Amino acid sequence: MKIKGINVAHLTFLSFCLMGFLVYAPLVHSANEFKLKLGAKGQTCLKCHETFNETLKSRFVHPLLKRGECIGCHVPHTSSHKGLLKADKTKLCYNCHKEVLPENALSSHDVVVEGNCKVCHDSHGSNNRFILLKSGSQLCFDCHKDVSKSVSSVRFTHKSVVQDKGCLNCHNPHASAESNHLLQKKVPSLCERCHKTDQLVFQRKHMNYPVADSNCNSCHNPHGSNTRGMVFDVAHAAVAEGKCTECHQKPTSLETKKRTTQLCRDCHQDMVDQTFNKNRVHWPLVDKVGCVNCHDPHASKEQKLLQGSVVKVCGSCHGDTVQLQEWSIKNPENKRLCEPVKKGNCIACHSPHAADNVLLIREQDISFGLCGRCHEWETHSTHPIGEKLIDIRAKNLSITCLSCHNACGTANNPSMLTFSTTHELCIQCHVERLK
Amino acid sequence: MTEMIDGSGKSILITAGLLVAVLFFQLPLSEGAEKFRYMTSVYTDDKGLGLKQPEGVACSGESQFIVADSGNGRLLRYSIKEGAIELGTTEIRLEKLSYPIKTEINSRGEIYVFDRKQRSIVRLSPTGEFRGFLQPVGLPSPTSYVPRSFTFDRIDNIYILDILSERVLVLDTEGRYVRQIKFPAEYGFFSDVAVDFRGTVLLIDGVDGRVFSAAKNSTSFSPLTSSLKEYVRFPASLTTDERGRIYLVDRNGGSIVILGQDGSFLSRQSGMGWKEGSLNYPAQMCINKKGEIFVADTNNSRVQIFRMVE
Repeated sequence: MKIKGINVAHLTFLSFCLMGFLVYAPLVHSANEFKLKLGAKGQTCLKCHETFNETLKSRFVHPLLKRGECIGCHVPHTSSHKGLLKADKTKLCYNCHKEVLPENALSSHDVVVEGNCKVCHDSHGSNNRFILLKSGSQLCFDCHKDVSKSVSSVRFTHKSVVQDKGCLNCHNPHASAESNHLLQKKVPSLCERCHKTDQLVFQRKHMNYPVADSNCNSCHNPHGSNTRGMVFDVAHAAVAEGKCTECHQKPTSLETKKRTTQLCRDCHQDMVDQTFNKNRVHWPLVDKVGCVNCHDPHASKEQKLLQGSVVKVCGSCHGDTVQLQEWSIKNPENKRLCEPVKKGNCIACHSPHAADNVLLIREQDISFGLCGRCHEWETHSTHPIGEKLIDIRAKNLSITCLSCHNACGTANNPSMLTFSTTHELCIQCHVERLK
Repeated sequence: MTEMIDGSGKSILITAGLLVAVLFFQLPLSEGAEKFRYMTSVYTDDKGLGLKQPEGVACSGESQFIVADSGNGRLLRYSIKEGAIELGTTEIRLEKLSYPIKTEINSRGEIYVFDRKQRSIVRLSPTGEFRGFLQPVGLPSPTSYVPRSFTFDRIDNIYILDILSERVLVLDTEGRYVRQIKFPAEYGFFSDVAVDFRGTVLLIDGVDGRVFSAAKNSTSFSPLTSSLKEYVRFPASLTTDERGRIYLVDRNGGSIVILGQDGSFLSRQSGMGWKEGSLNYPAQMCINKKGEIFVADTNNSRVQIFRMVE
């Protein structure tokens, strides 16, 4: 069929061509936004960046590099970002790999959150899967040296840490939507994948107590320990000796015989009685949870069966004070930080169970009794202190170390002073200096 | 000159003028903005013996207040008239009271004191004679309890913050059990309880920095505020005024934070320091019928008195 000499079939074909051009032209343009010569692509870059020819021979190469699409990540001429990257290096990878950090993650790897992908991956290529810098657990151990040291030195290592996928047998490398510590599943479900709780051996080893739903990590160190059964090396004597009935009812339930502090007193009578004779008992000791607020009743990594380091345990309630301590440590100006503050050793000054003094301070005489243990007064400062010297700001107070210093840290102030400059501090009392 | 100033210039001048007026003539920035004005402090008893880390203060009527002088293990009764402390302090020192940290006076003038060492509430007559320890009668299971704090409502019912069995116990004036309100499922640590003029029971969670409330006759608590850690470091005590406003005593932050009835933040008063007007590890506070505010300024070993001014 012809309309005024035009073949309709040709017209239709031309229309499709035009439509195709309109639809695909912008895409073609964006794919070749730098107007590279046909077939140029990465080949052009490799003329100068020859080392990547070697990278391209790696077993695993980033797909963009493999396709020669260097412009997937780099801008060829100018960029505001180092390495002529298209975006900040902490954000660039997320343009394509959003899924590594799910929104509902219960735990996430710090380096992933910070966008420091290069800590683990070579962005171009490597001989390890997922273009990782190293294979297996060795990569993790580069940062997690404590785990590495522990795994290599303990008598009983968890096989999962050293076999097969190593750390990735239990942990996700980026984030976990299921559990804390990047664990693939919550404990005990995670452990149950290998350790069958319905088997007689398992039950016998747990004195027939119904522990199937308990938190395995309350007794066992998941990476390994020097104690058979990978029980934490600091174990409650009753646990180490398998005397569960010291505290628990018969193996029909996990109920304890008494409420926590009363139960603990059965063995730790002197300590508990001394504690309760003080003016001020630390309140958590007498609440429903009692001693277990801070101590693990079974086993722990920490001395005294603490649930974590001292600063971590104290910080779980006194976060505001620990924040001051952390800020003080991070403050580069703060070169004269008190040792216990630097180490987060709150119990150097505070008595964690009870004391006769406010803030559970160990000594009533703060200057000589407490600070004087480490600081020799005469060599420290010439400012007079002592009971006879009245603080003119509050006349029931005498001059002590705490008249000028905050013993828990003062964030950005130097020398743990309560004011940002010595002048500001001194004129508190020496008003005449203002005139 | 005016010809040289265009429209936008004029508006800048007007704004600057208003700002100057506000700064120099102290015009109120917003209606109803109130703040503490320092009045006076109490440092000693009549004999000149200084207070030692007092943690409690209770107001009675328009002029009397009682201080729990914790470090000295005693109570002191003072009178205040026209902003000045009157002579004639009464010391209440009892064998059975070793470490008082909180005190309250009910409508009959009876003094109740919380002794931290014994973790018990001591009852005293209006003149300070020992009447015994508060022993709740007819408690439901669990019968064991550990008080952390206590307060009264307007008809002298006693509210005990029981941290052992995680509840607030409500007792009548004779100590007989009336009801209990269970703690919420999620909380950090409760350190004080208050009851406002409507009978709403309030709890302060110092760890999470939240206030919880239970309406009159309610059997459960719900959060009145989200975390207030933006405004407070470690609120450990609370009270209310006649308008239902909530006053949080920020122990570590050395300040008082005022909230509306609905828990909305209104203002933060005073601040950490040693000079009069500043607070250092404050504990209990109370407000008398004249609206004067008394704060046990523990680590400054004094009680400070403020007046609320617009």
